[in-house]
Amino acid sequence: MSKRWIQVGLFVASVGCAGWAHDRLPISPEAGSGQGFLPNPEHARALAVGFDAILADYHWLRAVQVVGSAPSVDPERAEHLGRLVDVVTTLNPHVDHPYRFAAIWLTHDEDQVREGIRLLRRGTQHHPEDWRNYFYLGFEQFFYLGEYELAAESLEKAMARDGAPPYLARLVARLKAQSGDIDVAEVFLREMLRNTVDPEDRARLQIALDEIELEYKARLLDRARAAYRVAAGRDIRSVEELIRPPHRMLEKLPSPEPDAIPVALARGSRWKIDPRTRRIVTSYLGRRYEVHLSPSDRARLAQWKESKRGGRAADTDTTPDASANRDAGGVR
Amino acid sequence: MKSFVRIHALAANTFREAIRNKLLYALLAFSVVLIGAGVLLASLSYVEVDEILQDMGMAAIRLFSAGIAMFVGAGLVHNEVDRRTVFTILSKPVSRSEFLIGKWAGLTVTVWLQLVLMAMAFAAVSSLAGAPVELEHGLAIALIGLELMVVVAIATLFSCFTTPMLASFYTFGLWLIGHLSRDLYLLGQQSDQPSVPGLSAALYAVLPDFEVFNKTLEAVHGLPIRGDEVGFAALYAVGYSGVVLVLASTIFARRDLK
Repeated sequence: MSKRWIQVGLFVASVGCAGWAHDRLPISPEAGSGQGFLPNPEHARALAVGFDAILADYHWLRAVQVVGSAPSVDPERAEHLGRLVDVVTTLNPHVDHPYRFAAIWLTHDEDQVREGIRLLRRGTQHHPEDWRNYFYLGFEQFFYLGEYELAAESLEKAMARDGAPPYLARLVARLKAQSGDIDVAEVFLREMLRNTVDPEDRARLQIALDEIELEYKARLLDRARAAYRVAAGRDIRSVEELIRPPHRMLEKLPSPEPDAIPVALARGSRWKIDPRTRRIVTSYLGRRYEVHLSPSDRARLAQWKESKRGGRAADTDTTPDASANRDAGGVR
Repeated sequence: MKSFVRIHALAANTFREAIRNKLLYALLAFSVVLIGAGVLLASLSYVEVDEILQDMGMAAIRLFSAGIAMFVGAGLVHNEVDRRTVFTILSKPVSRSEFLIGKWAGLTVTVWLQLVLMAMAFAAVSSLAGAPVELEHGLAIALIGLELMVVVAIATLFSCFTTPMLASFYTFGLWLIGHLSRDLYLLGQQSDQPSVPGLSAALYAVLPDFEVFNKTLEAVHGLPIRGDEVGFAALYAVGYSGVVLVLASTIFARRDLK
């Protein structure tokens, strides 16, 4: 056999050996999801030696790969994405979109939402004039955490900045009413109305004030209903029962329409008990003045609150049984 | 005045020698390729595309110009001694200090020239990609130029007493530390140990602070770069280079070249 054939044989054998071995080596799942080594943000910043911006870009591109074109990401990937964006925004806090990008995906549990909020707060520090970070912050607080007062504060800051959509004023008022203080909501809207010139914006604010007026009336009926329950030992079957003997609670029912509406434009609305929520509503609006969440979102919110209470109870449980359990290493 | 003429002649000679160095062209070519590659990298993102493109360009400029300053500067004096050409020069009415300053000035002008070429490539790629090119970009690149001036001075210092390989390592090490010195100082100030804050402050005063020349983030994100910051950075660069060159001259003056 000639020397050349030996060389060819060795070459083919080497290629085959390398290919065979390579096929048997697993592709790390991290490679597929863009996961892998992730430095501590502060260490990364300290060791960037002047290349902060390009390192931030590198981690940002990794974060984009984590999501890819998927319509949703699982909790682990979302958490990894949050850590990547933390590195990105520590290395280069002047970036704009990553703050909101993280907040969009960090929604699987309360801890993730709070991490998203932390990143958004960092965004507001470095982009104080951008309404969008405040808007996202308010949305996270209201939608995922049910923290209506804080959400109203954040959205109010968004409103004060150029470019914010005009509907925010109504949302803020609704959040303020939701957090219990409808008077604050009204004062807020009246102040807004006083400072608004645009006729369309004024009309929107006036609608919100009408809604507040009807909510005042509905709350009056709620109180009368509660008193009725005590007096009659049962709930009302219709709203009209509140003005009928033997357990008459009110002289007459308040108007179910805003007082400012001219008679010619009256719609013939009436008070009724909503069959789904069992709450008193006016047919003029068909609902109460509050922020609206779908039943599934309400259930999720309640579940998070419940698990948080459960977690706290477990952390702070000082009953003898709990102490004994801890002393026994948690095994009973 | 005569001293200036001698330094100018040495600098011009060093410049001519340096631009014949093939390493310089290789690094320059790589940097231009990398600046252009920013377009590909930026296309991987759906937002902040201009910023990624320009971050990449600025990083390439910083990395390769510092590399040229370190690796060409490291052999600056050693090669002259090794080839014995230093004797020819020093046999003329040229002091050792003038020789060193001339070498430093020549190489500084060389790295500034390649910096200008990289900046032109950066501006061309940015313009073609539609990314804005503002005055701040120019200021940030000028600050890199000041950083290079100090890096060349440090490379000249090490080149006076050690081999090019070791001089490169030492210069690279000091360049790294120079980008960390601010953090080391801040870290030291937080220490509970009574001696550490003083020690970290002393180290911060002695070690170079290259972060004063780093305004990449501001330039790329359209944030203002204050004129006084640039002015003080320029004074700092001149002062620090002066200190290093005096130290280098002292060492070189005592060195036995035989």
